[in-house]
Amino acid sequence: MANKKIVYPDPKFFKAKDEINWKAQGENLMEVIGIFGEMLKETDWKTVGKKFVDGCKSDIERVKGEYKDFMALDAEEKKDRVINGERSLGRLYRKGAMATVRREWRGVKDTAYDFWEWARMWGMLLGTFSKDLVPAMNSALWYRWMISYFCCHGFMDKNILGLRGSNLRMSHEATYQIFRYVAENLVLLSKADRKNGNSTELNRMMITFDEMTMGQIMAGFPDLCGIPHQLLPMFLVSEIDQLVCIPYIDAVESYGLPADTCPVPSSECGALVIDALPDMGSGFISSSMPCDGSTMASSYFARRFPNIPVFHLCFPVRYLDEETVQMGADDIKACIKFIEEKTGAKWSWDAYFAAMKRFNMETDLELQKWEINKSAYPQFIGPSYELFRKWNYEMDGGIDPRVLPSMEKVNKILLKAYENKETAWPERKMKYRGMVWSCPAHYYANFSNWLANCWGIDILVEMESLNFTKHLETEDKEEALRDLARLYERMVMRRHTNGGYQNVVDELWRQSEEWNAPLIIMYQNVACKNMATVQGILDEQGRARGKDLIWIEHDLMDPRTVSRRSMRDKVNSYMTTVMRAEPVDPSLVEFEDDECM
Amino acid sequence: MKDLKHLIYFESLLENADNELVKQAQAEGGLAIGYTCFHIPEVILNCGNMFSVRLRAPNTGSIDIATYYMSNYTCEYARALVERAIEGGYQFLDAMIGVDACSMMNRAMEHFEILNINEKPTFFVTHTDMPYKITDYTVDGYVKQMRLRVLDRLSEVYGVDTSDAAIRQAVEEHNEVCRIISEIGEMRKADNPVITGYEFHVLNLVTYTCPKKLILPYLRETLEELKQREPDAKSPFRARVAIVGSEIDDPSLTKLIEGCGALVVSDRYCFGSTPGREVLELKDDEDALTQICRHYMEVSECARYIADEKVMQRRETADRLAREFKAEGIIYEQMKYCDYWGFERALVSHIMHDEYGWPVLSIDRLYNNGNSGQLRTRCQAFVESLEIKRIHKEEGKV
Repeated sequence: MANKKIVYPDPKFFKAKDEINWKAQGENLMEVIGIFGEMLKETDWKTVGKKFVDGCKSDIERVKGEYKDFMALDAEEKKDRVINGERSLGRLYRKGAMATVRREWRGVKDTAYDFWEWARMWGMLLGTFSKDLVPAMNSALWYRWMISYFCCHGFMDKNILGLRGSNLRMSHEATYQIFRYVAENLVLLSKADRKNGNSTELNRMMITFDEMTMGQIMAGFPDLCGIPHQLLPMFLVSEIDQLVCIPYIDAVESYGLPADTCPVPSSECGALVIDALPDMGSGFISSSMPCDGSTMASSYFARRFPNIPVFHLCFPVRYLDEETVQMGADDIKACIKFIEEKTGAKWSWDAYFAAMKRFNMETDLELQKWEINKSAYPQFIGPSYELFRKWNYEMDGGIDPRVLPSMEKVNKILLKAYENKETAWPERKMKYRGMVWSCPAHYYANFSNWLANCWGIDILVEMESLNFTKHLETEDKEEALRDLARLYERMVMRRHTNGGYQNVVDELWRQSEEWNAPLIIMYQNVACKNMATVQGILDEQGRARGKDLIWIEHDLMDPRTVSRRSMRDKVNSYMTTVMRAEPVDPSLVEFEDDECM
Repeated sequence: MKDLKHLIYFESLLENADNELVKQAQAEGGLAIGYTCFHIPEVILNCGNMFSVRLRAPNTGSIDIATYYMSNYTCEYARALVERAIEGGYQFLDAMIGVDACSMMNRAMEHFEILNINEKPTFFVTHTDMPYKITDYTVDGYVKQMRLRVLDRLSEVYGVDTSDAAIRQAVEEHNEVCRIISEIGEMRKADNPVITGYEFHVLNLVTYTCPKKLILPYLRETLEELKQREPDAKSPFRARVAIVGSEIDDPSLTKLIEGCGALVVSDRYCFGSTPGREVLELKDDEDALTQICRHYMEVSECARYIADEKVMQRRETADRLAREFKAEGIIYEQMKYCDYWGFERALVSHIMHDEYGWPVLSIDRLYNNGNSGQLRTRCQAFVESLEIKRIHKEEGKV
């Protein structure tokens, strides 16, 4: 398979003719210029100047301090810093700054590698956007979220803070796959958007689906372009920029939506209220997943885009009840028929089975990672892997043939590192084996990274990674649909939070034993009803079993409710008072990142 | 108006889930089957010697223990049920029919199991899966759930006759209740009705919470009484409103609204009569269970149904009921923390105003509201706005 020439996505998507309405673009440009003009007029330039000067002074002080600290080391320590990199990562943050003050020094070899990957990423981004640059760049004039993507390298950096060696290499490889997907879809989204590229040809070939709907159904439509509608404007970018969803949430709450609803559907609806989602595709597949709030967001979509036909893909909630599976399979059939009707495309079993065979192989590779990470020498852990796992399971799903070789490459590194008994983090950072339960905060996507760097807590696995691992049927068509239903019913989050409390409570204790991870980061998304309604049971049973449960509240996409610092404080407090621990990196115990992306 | 003869008695029946008639029916060998959600067709829980009890937690005070288990960001109805269950208020139940229609209610039912809230050795909780839309295959799935997870379980544990004939017999009794309530409900269409919204709310609630056989004699008598009842010469109310939204099992909310001068003429909410008290017309050429399930899916106004036709149905129904019952405004309400109605209310309260032209009061509320000063103020302001609109209309200004 690796030797076969791969052309993905289909080049015809990029070649589809744009029909840009230049008059509308001109009007929009004038509006944007007007906004910039007002901003410039209202800017207090004295303050800006003072901030700049303060920033420069701070940089000088920082450099002096770093020099002084380095010179204070003895020869052996100096050698260690040069070869293995710096150890006080808290100094990379500055109060009020939107980015870290500089990139991390990882030692000569790893820094060189890191810059190589940095450059490779830039090359990929430039190459991808050059496939149709005008609509893609024009998106920045229509959507504020597009600006946040300009900081994607910063996102990459924060996810690999403190990493060295094999884990760094695997993390870069995983990040590259995700960024390529994002870049390609941003180009296509911009081309299709009727406000922007307005490509009728591409829209005829495009189906969009709710970001909470897995992508695998599109594997049977190789001639179509499937894009999760809100994923790029909202879901993924909220991991890059913690502030990006605030205008959406404010807009929909002003409209009347209660503030206690989950920020995912709230942000989706808010994005619709302020017209921050592109108008594209020949049909939209909405979903009842993963929870009650997400179910309801589809009526907001239908109201904003009345001309886009909607299919509601609904799966049984009690998914362990095999009697319900056929209903899910029947709904998938109906969904396939809907896509065929709206696009004229035909479902291809060959294409579907080929993709699912890849997906099955990818699942095997994933299980191999789990085996290694369960051992005394976990290798591939951290935010990049966590994000990759979710993306691979939900969105890629074996459809992109370029992902499997990449995963094979990662596993090759993984096995070699395991044979060499390497450590995923530098030795001093591996003190506690932990796992994450419930959904993590989007605005703190690299929290597990901080846990390791600051306290030596190694998050071996997240709840959201532990999904369906059964091989999907690739021969019998009826059973294949039933398997696809089983897969969809076990999407990220839903696999645990739906279908009965056993899936989230009993499963936690089972996994905690299996991974030998007695320390549990117990996230409390304050608006997640599915999880909130078992908090007492988890607390009671956790205590009875002697687990270290660190409860950490967050508001998923709204850092104003519970800031990153408040989340860290919960851990700091638990580690000092309950565990009587000393931080691995004291510079990370207390720092300011309220505005840092 | 002269007080209804049985009103105080009906009110007393709503003071406890385990009320006088429930106790009487159990003493006579009946099995009390608890349920909460409209998605469970209550009529099938009335086969043989079973009788359905739609669970409420009247006079709820502190819900601190349930809040420990379920957090303070979740539906108060669900928490009130768990709290009452822990207090021992549902010891009388013989089975609990859980429904995984909304996560919070599902978790409440799961806590019934986890916390062993009922000591009867044969007590069980069953969980059922509900579809989100109406198609042939979802009807099939729904019927299968009701058969396998509800009727068969009850048959296995209690030996109850759940045959087609038994279901049809239950439908007959159910239909008589529905006919009476519907006939009484129609009386609210009059310009000066002989029944208030509060009285109707109480009457309707007892039909959900008491054994049908035992409540029917009182209902029949009340119907006859209402036919003879003389309304006040001048209605004491200043406006007429329809209520649309999520669960209301507390008649003091209706009392509060009417205390502000707004007669509640339509009750399109969960535990209300539309839907819920439609007569079931069964054909002979199809099994009763399938027909009942299809009926419940079709008439359901639950915001959980997300297919476009159901979304539109909800808006059309709210508009139709408000017009038919001569309402002057609509109160869109939701139980606080209810995701389904939170999204629905926010959007549709705008639509009903902007596209259907209705004055709308949009509120989220707690489980117990009888004494909410804030809610009272909002309702008073709404009544005043309706009055002003009427005056303007009469003066030809609108």
